[in-house]
Amino acid sequence: MNELIHVENVTFQYPGAEHPVLKKMNLSVEKGEFLAVIGSNGSGKSTLCKLFNGLIPHFYTGDFEGSVTVNGLNILNSSVADLSCHVGYVFQDFENQLVQARVLEDASFAPLNFGMEDYLQRGRRALELVGLAHLADEFVWQLSGGQKHLLALAGCLAMNPDIIVIDEPTAQLDPYHAKEIYEVLKKLNKQYGKTIISIEHHTEFIAEYCDTVLLLNKGSVIWKRPMRQALSEVDLLTELNIYPPQAAQAASRLGADHVPITLNEAVAFFKEMIPRSTPSVTKPEPVQAQEEPVIRFDQVGFSYKSMNKKQAQVLKNINLSLFKGEQVAIVGNNGAGKSTLLRLITGVKKPESGTLTVRSQSVASCTPEKMADHVAYIYQNPEQMFIDDSVKKDVAFFPKARKIKDYENKIDEILEQFDLVDLQDKDSRLMSGGQQRRASLAIGAAMNPSVILLDEPTASLDMATRKHLTQFILKLKEQIDLVMIATHDMQLVSEWATRVIVLHHGQIIFDGGKEELFSNPALMDKAGLVPPQIVTLSLALNVDPVDYSVDSFINRFKEVPEEWPLQKASQIN
Amino acid sequence: MTQIKERYTLTQPQKMMVFILSMSLYGLSNMITELVPEVNIGPVNFSIEYFAFIPLTLCILFHPFYAAIGASIGEVIFGEVMLGQFSGFGEIEKLVIFTLAMYVAGIIVNNPKNKVQVGIAAMTGVIIHQFLNMISDITKVWIGVDDFEAVSGLPQSVVAIEGFSFLNDVLFSGILFALLPTLYLVPRLYGKIEPLLGMKPRDNKTKYPISGILKPRFIIIGVLLSAVAMGCEFLSEAGIDIFEWEAEFGDTAIWISLAAAAVVALITIIVLVTGKNKAKRSMANE
Amino acid sequence: MAAAKSFADKLSFEQIKIELLNTAYGNDRTLIAKLDPRTLFLWYTFFGIAPWFIYSKMILAGMLVFVIGTTIMTKVSRLIIFILIMGLLGESGYLLIASFFFGGNLGIIVPLLTLTMKLSVISLASITAFCSMSPERLGEGLLRIGVPGQVSFSISYGYRMLPTLFEEYNHIFMSYRLRGKSPEKHGLFYFRTVIYFIKLAVKSFYPLLLSMAKRARTTVEALETKGGQYAFRNPAVKKLKLAKLRIGKNDYFFLLISVLYLMSIFISSHYVQF
Repeated sequence: MNELIHVENVTFQYPGAEHPVLKKMNLSVEKGEFLAVIGSNGSGKSTLCKLFNGLIPHFYTGDFEGSVTVNGLNILNSSVADLSCHVGYVFQDFENQLVQARVLEDASFAPLNFGMEDYLQRGRRALELVGLAHLADEFVWQLSGGQKHLLALAGCLAMNPDIIVIDEPTAQLDPYHAKEIYEVLKKLNKQYGKTIISIEHHTEFIAEYCDTVLLLNKGSVIWKRPMRQALSEVDLLTELNIYPPQAAQAASRLGADHVPITLNEAVAFFKEMIPRSTPSVTKPEPVQAQEEPVIRFDQVGFSYKSMNKKQAQVLKNINLSLFKGEQVAIVGNNGAGKSTLLRLITGVKKPESGTLTVRSQSVASCTPEKMADHVAYIYQNPEQMFIDDSVKKDVAFFPKARKIKDYENKIDEILEQFDLVDLQDKDSRLMSGGQQRRASLAIGAAMNPSVILLDEPTASLDMATRKHLTQFILKLKEQIDLVMIATHDMQLVSEWATRVIVLHHGQIIFDGGKEELFSNPALMDKAGLVPPQIVTLSLALNVDPVDYSVDSFINRFKEVPEEWPLQKASQIN
Repeated sequence: MTQIKERYTLTQPQKMMVFILSMSLYGLSNMITELVPEVNIGPVNFSIEYFAFIPLTLCILFHPFYAAIGASIGEVIFGEVMLGQFSGFGEIEKLVIFTLAMYVAGIIVNNPKNKVQVGIAAMTGVIIHQFLNMISDITKVWIGVDDFEAVSGLPQSVVAIEGFSFLNDVLFSGILFALLPTLYLVPRLYGKIEPLLGMKPRDNKTKYPISGILKPRFIIIGVLLSAVAMGCEFLSEAGIDIFEWEAEFGDTAIWISLAAAAVVALITIIVLVTGKNKAKRSMANE
Repeated sequence: MAAAKSFADKLSFEQIKIELLNTAYGNDRTLIAKLDPRTLFLWYTFFGIAPWFIYSKMILAGMLVFVIGTTIMTKVSRLIIFILIMGLLGESGYLLIASFFFGGNLGIIVPLLTLTMKLSVISLASITAFCSMSPERLGEGLLRIGVPGQVSFSISYGYRMLPTLFEEYNHIFMSYRLRGKSPEKHGLFYFRTVIYFIKLAVKSFYPLLLSMAKRARTTVEALETKGGQYAFRNPAVKKLKLAKLRIGKNDYFFLLISVLYLMSIFISSHYVQF
């Protein structure tokens, strides 16, 4: 009746590919839906969504069969430009979608191209909708990542489309900005009646914002269901490497049939049955301050000249001593100075004031090449680390440049350790996101450093790869004196860190254990941090000590078997 | 499969991709070379004149026309306009000369895997470019100085200085920033970068023998094109008499004659391309 | 030569940004910057070409004074003007010295000075016309006189992408440094170090070529969805884009002054000879 998109028996194969990406796909989307599309890597999510604006089959001229109707238009008979008046598309690499110099110019680009006289008003209105109106005259490159994403959305909204497709908004954004964009989408959906289709693997966002969920696997639709019903399929989802909200995971592993999905439901669900008496988790021993810190910041400050020739202070008065064996997480909003802090340690940037020493050696007097003997820095975007034309050569670059004896054997070992043996001759840039991450870690390991710095190691990974990667990170500490991670990923922080440093506007506002941090909501809020659901749940349930992972939460039930029937949980463990 | 001699064609969006790729990268490299200090030891200049290897590589790997024109426009925009150094007619001249040189380099290669071909193409591109620059510079002095030949010693010294800087650039920039990097990049990128743009690599199935390039028509057009490039300033000055007194308040009349120069040059290049394709098609049919 | 060592540090992302903003916003407020691009194109057409064919020193000197005046009006740093003229004089100096080897004499100085004057007029005219014109206006102006839409699109796109690309280039360059090994000894005149950096500067383009290829693809896809391709051929779009361009009183005034001035020097050159 109110069907907006109709996909019937669609099969599509990219030119030169061996198998079709979409197989006999059928789907219908109704007006006003807020649909989440989920599925593991390679399940055809993006390909499916590119059907809606005709990029497939018009732009990618592969083998196409079946029929797709969008808002009454058959995509075969309509051009990409025509379909784009009905479907707005925010790409996963939205940065490259912005093509004009200034914000307003970019937002009104599409209506201008279609020759609409009111193109500037349309652009302005779109900017207002996403809350960027005050930046209309700025240059696009002055915006933050989150703002650029909103601008990409505004660029679509200027055409006033009925449907908005958004490809993995949470992959490139920190949770704070991801929430911001979802709030905008919610407004568009509820107030303006737009149909939203979001490719998303973050189930906590799905639980909070979406109505329906479409699950894809290997190019076929498994089902399309209302959100609650969909996320309750904990086993199936887990099997397909999609992780339901932590509360649902916990409840399901404890054998519940109707699992809670949101935090409030979880509180109500667990309130009665939670065993409070026996603290089950042993607190990790805080590492004692030893003789000599590995890294010492003494009144370090850093700034750069900004446009109006003023100094923009990135870091100020940083005092910090980091010791052997610590697992340090650096958290804070985008722009808080996390990356700068790490880069100072590598010697790529020099502190403007104060002194920074690594193993009692002043960084200011060393070239980055020299610092590389002690410190390995793993970039947020692994692609920027790939400088040679195969994985193996990239991993071997450091030892080869230094003519280290018998490095070949060591490289083979590392390739094995990071599960890269089969990929070693491939160009790193042509691999999947998860493989790239592994390769970047392998590069770091081959440098045999005493300090390793990881910048957002889990960003834009699907849940399965993320889990895999966390294991590698855990292994790192066996060989390396000090591991530092700058991250937004609170789940990683809660499962891994022994010391958390919170940066806010270039200053340290917290330095201590995660227990202390997570139990201080005011501080978390100030720094724009969102704790993992399981932590918030434990806090809400008043359990002591707080649980940092689903495993430890479940263990709590295991130790008091008389209070909870554990057949299912024990099967799993 | 082998008997189907497919022509190397691109869709409109693919052309745009090549254009954007070439423009952005060569533009970026121009900005970098603008910012790097240069070293002069006497008349010998050791500056990084340009990273010619970028357009050369792209012209060899992709459709040479779009890569060449993209690079030229990138140079003007990133290297001049954005640094506030746009200089009017000088840019048109640069654009035409550079496009021509890179384009010729691109069509010399029919098999990007052949190192000898790639090397020859890279050097040819630089030589054509520097040679046309030299001619254009000499001509400028010739035009600019009243009774040029009558000034004793001037013609010789102009030729000597320009000739020396030609050799300097060809040997220094040509080898260090065109030949060696192109030989390093082309084999590494061939077959790897094309799929990223959704294209098939240029293959040597689309045979284009050297004899095809050396057809009389090509040579004539090439010479004509160079004449257009060099004469850009002179062509545009054709409008001078008309405009000197009466046209100040007119609007675009003069511009038409000026733009004509550029348009003629562009059309010539386009004719060259289509001509080439036609030649290829007829060859494929044979 | 220590400059070579620190050049990698100097090429900072922030530096580039400042550079770009200076050009973009730089001299927006001056009288000349407010003129319509077409006026300046027209003006430049004369001052950029005519000097080649004017051999009267009197007229050339008069034109030079005029363009120095207009250049100062654009508030371009005086240093630029000075460096430019010094550079041109230097080139003539080379020619002078070289000509001695070919049997020339001091009589060559006058024609060379005339040549320098011509080149100075032309260069300063282009500075006047284009330095104060923001790239956006230049793009509009070019579009107006019939240059294909791709060019003005590219100017805007350049502004959009350059900082991003530069940052990426910088990251890759640093990747080489963070894993590579710089030469132990700097060598004669820092020769080894310079070679090391030049090699990195060139090699860094390999990864960049590949990642830019990926970007180009998304960009063109997005252009497709935003009707970009189709807009290049649509005259209505051009009209909308150029709706702001207007030739006003100031434009006529500027051209009038120029013509009157030129007339006066042309006439006076008939009476004054030197």
